[in-house]
Amino acid sequence: MENPRLEMRGIVKTFGPVTALDAVDLVVGRNEVHGLLGGNGAGKTTLMNVLYGLYRPNAGEVLLDGQPASIGSPKDAIAAGVGMVHQTFLQVDNYTVTENIVLGTDVPGPLRLDLSDAKARIRELSERFGLTVDPDAVVEDLPVGVRQRVEILKALYRGAKLLILDEPTTNLTPQEVDDLFGSMRAMVDDGMSVVLITHKIRETLSVCDRMTVMRDGRRVETIERADTDAEHLAEKMVGSTTDPGAAVDAAALGAVDAEKVEEILSSVGTTTAVAVRDLVVVNDQGHELIQGFELELREGEIVGIAGVAGNGQVELAEALAGVRPLRSGSVEVSGRSMGGLATSTWLHHGVAYVPEDRHRDGILPTASITENLVLGSQRSPQVRRRGLIDWGAAKQRAVDAIAEFSVRANGPATLVGDLSGGNIQRVILARAFARQPRMLILHNPTRGLDIGSTRFVYQQVRKATAAGCAVLLISEDLDEVIALSDRVIALYQGSRAGEWQHGSVDAYAVGRSMTGLGEARV
Amino acid sequence: MGEITEFLTLMIPAMVPFLLAAQGTVLSGRAGVFNVSQEGLMVLGAAVGFLVSFKVGSNVVGMAAAFAIAGVFGLVLAYMTTQLRLDQFVVGLALYFAALGAAGLLYREVIGVTMEPPLIPTLEDKPIPLLSDIPFLGEVLFDHDLVVYLAFAISVAIWWFMYKTRSGLAFRSIGENPKAADSLGINVTWARTWSTVVGSGLVGMAGAYLPMVYTGLYTEGMVAGRGWLVIALAFLGGWRPHLVIAGAAFFAGMEVLALRAQVAGIGIPHQFVLMLPYVATLLVMVFAFRWARQPSFLGRNYDRESRLVG
Repeated sequence: MENPRLEMRGIVKTFGPVTALDAVDLVVGRNEVHGLLGGNGAGKTTLMNVLYGLYRPNAGEVLLDGQPASIGSPKDAIAAGVGMVHQTFLQVDNYTVTENIVLGTDVPGPLRLDLSDAKARIRELSERFGLTVDPDAVVEDLPVGVRQRVEILKALYRGAKLLILDEPTTNLTPQEVDDLFGSMRAMVDDGMSVVLITHKIRETLSVCDRMTVMRDGRRVETIERADTDAEHLAEKMVGSTTDPGAAVDAAALGAVDAEKVEEILSSVGTTTAVAVRDLVVVNDQGHELIQGFELELREGEIVGIAGVAGNGQVELAEALAGVRPLRSGSVEVSGRSMGGLATSTWLHHGVAYVPEDRHRDGILPTASITENLVLGSQRSPQVRRRGLIDWGAAKQRAVDAIAEFSVRANGPATLVGDLSGGNIQRVILARAFARQPRMLILHNPTRGLDIGSTRFVYQQVRKATAAGCAVLLISEDLDEVIALSDRVIALYQGSRAGEWQHGSVDAYAVGRSMTGLGEARV
Repeated sequence: MGEITEFLTLMIPAMVPFLLAAQGTVLSGRAGVFNVSQEGLMVLGAAVGFLVSFKVGSNVVGMAAAFAIAGVFGLVLAYMTTQLRLDQFVVGLALYFAALGAAGLLYREVIGVTMEPPLIPTLEDKPIPLLSDIPFLGEVLFDHDLVVYLAFAISVAIWWFMYKTRSGLAFRSIGENPKAADSLGINVTWARTWSTVVGSGLVGMAGAYLPMVYTGLYTEGMVAGRGWLVIALAFLGGWRPHLVIAGAAFFAGMEVLALRAQVAGIGIPHQFVLMLPYVATLLVMVFAFRWARQPSFLGRNYDRESRLVG
């Protein structure tokens, strides 16, 4: 390529004994949207953090516009015309949009701050690139989609010529994704270059000019949009795609259009497994975040809950798992009313819960795998001997679980906090499946997992439904919800905002309902 | 002189140690460094301020020395927390004990045990021309020693810096979200370091003021827990310099009230009267904690390469 905007050559980055980047090359041209594609843990974000000066590489060089660039900090990166929008927004919550954008720049006023010129400039930029925001709004009051525009404007305000977007579509509705891609096009037409970090093949195909696939810290391939298709990219990214359920997995991973998947995972029975009536749940501050929620789950059925984070998902999951009291309404599992019963009774009655925040709610990080697996079944006869825990039996159970769930660990005594996210999730699943669950609640079960672990989770879901377990899948990943679920329910402000059957789901309609714009179809 | 005028005239200089130390605490706190060594730094500041004044014969030099020695302690705190990433609370407590020990040692080395304690001249009142002629206000506000004016000037300057300047906007963002600040090229380590050095220096000055203002004597225990009250004051003022001024008035008022009640001899054992400021603090904090804000990253270290932050 002639005159590329960016060249990265032989970048190596290690974290202790782990090699996160192994001699990676990347070339990004002018006026180009370049996709950086790979599963979690492939090294995409690490590579871009090196470019942005957040990590110092152990080896390798970076050239911007043909000149060697020495980038030791984000300040150097910004000065060199590189902007980055991180997955978690780096914003000061109690500052206004303008204050957040001008932070660290030379706005007039070393002695007396004057933001009027800055505001005018922000208005001009947001108009030019279709990024609508109110410069005077305080960012903590803004929805995710708008906060992301603030992040992008922050980079544009600093005159970025190369903009890095790290998984920018997470938590956006399909409509917002379209708007974002439109803005990206406008930037490229204006002479900029954009790097899109994503694990969704479909996204790279719809907006990128070229893409680089990464796996296990290595660059696998760089290819023009015109020369590739979803299948080819999936193969490079995931490996083979021939096992059963591969189509569903591919859709859930965003490789192909989730709406077009006909295959289903589940084996829906006729018996009602779970009935939720008129459920009201309050959050820690006492606000009613779930209001009059109704749900019926049949044996072997997967019901997906789609919604933007913060619409009552956590409260719904915790209430149905028996760890948060019901304010009113009822939950019946296999015909038994569960309201007011102790959490241990819910557990014994076959309710299993895989929480969203696995580090905080799912495990004891400084306890071993054996101890974590005993939790919840510490009174069961298998691990009890004369009123005490039989640690020999518990250890044997842990050894079996490590083998069955392919946990990568040095043995049952390994501390769970030392495991990777994917292996922690395997431990949690092993514990959930130890007692033949009748209802499995999964909340963002694959977030942050590498492809292998993600597919492992899906396999386990398949296994559970085959055994007649009802699954409630609460996820902010719309592709995942649509691909896996027999029914999709949109959740908006604690109530149902729409329901669709597998095969007749319209992602845009779900997106509208998730943001309160859809016609109620409850 | 009316009862109220007298009370307020006494309250203003009593505010000075609270003001200087609390503004110093707020300064580093807004960058995320939670200093808990105030009590020790004030005692050390009092000892060094007194000893240098005594030896050199100048209160100005004494005050500067107190600022410098406390600033060095601040530098240690900054280095240990920003570079070595040790726990701020633990380092702060260690520095509290170190400062306390250093103060006692220095006094004994320089003065030794004497029958007649050494004296330094107390600070002179310097009425501000014209302003001090205003009835009531002139007497209450503009007829004090120079450190009183300095303490208020520093409070206003810190407030102006934080809320009215470009660097202040950047500075406050560090205490709220250092990762965001860092990503925008704001130097987190530098800001934390200078603010902790200057902030600690102000705490040292607050201590040095005590022997210089009332008796000209240095006594062990003369700081009397003010350093701990300062932490409460920073929280009470929501880590905002302008509200800290109001909070300092409250604490100083309590102190003067306790003193006067003691002098008036109202038949309550004086130990109880002396408890007044602390009991009042406790009561105020119970209510203030409901609304008082604090920097989101207060007391937390920042490590750019940590994958766990943010």
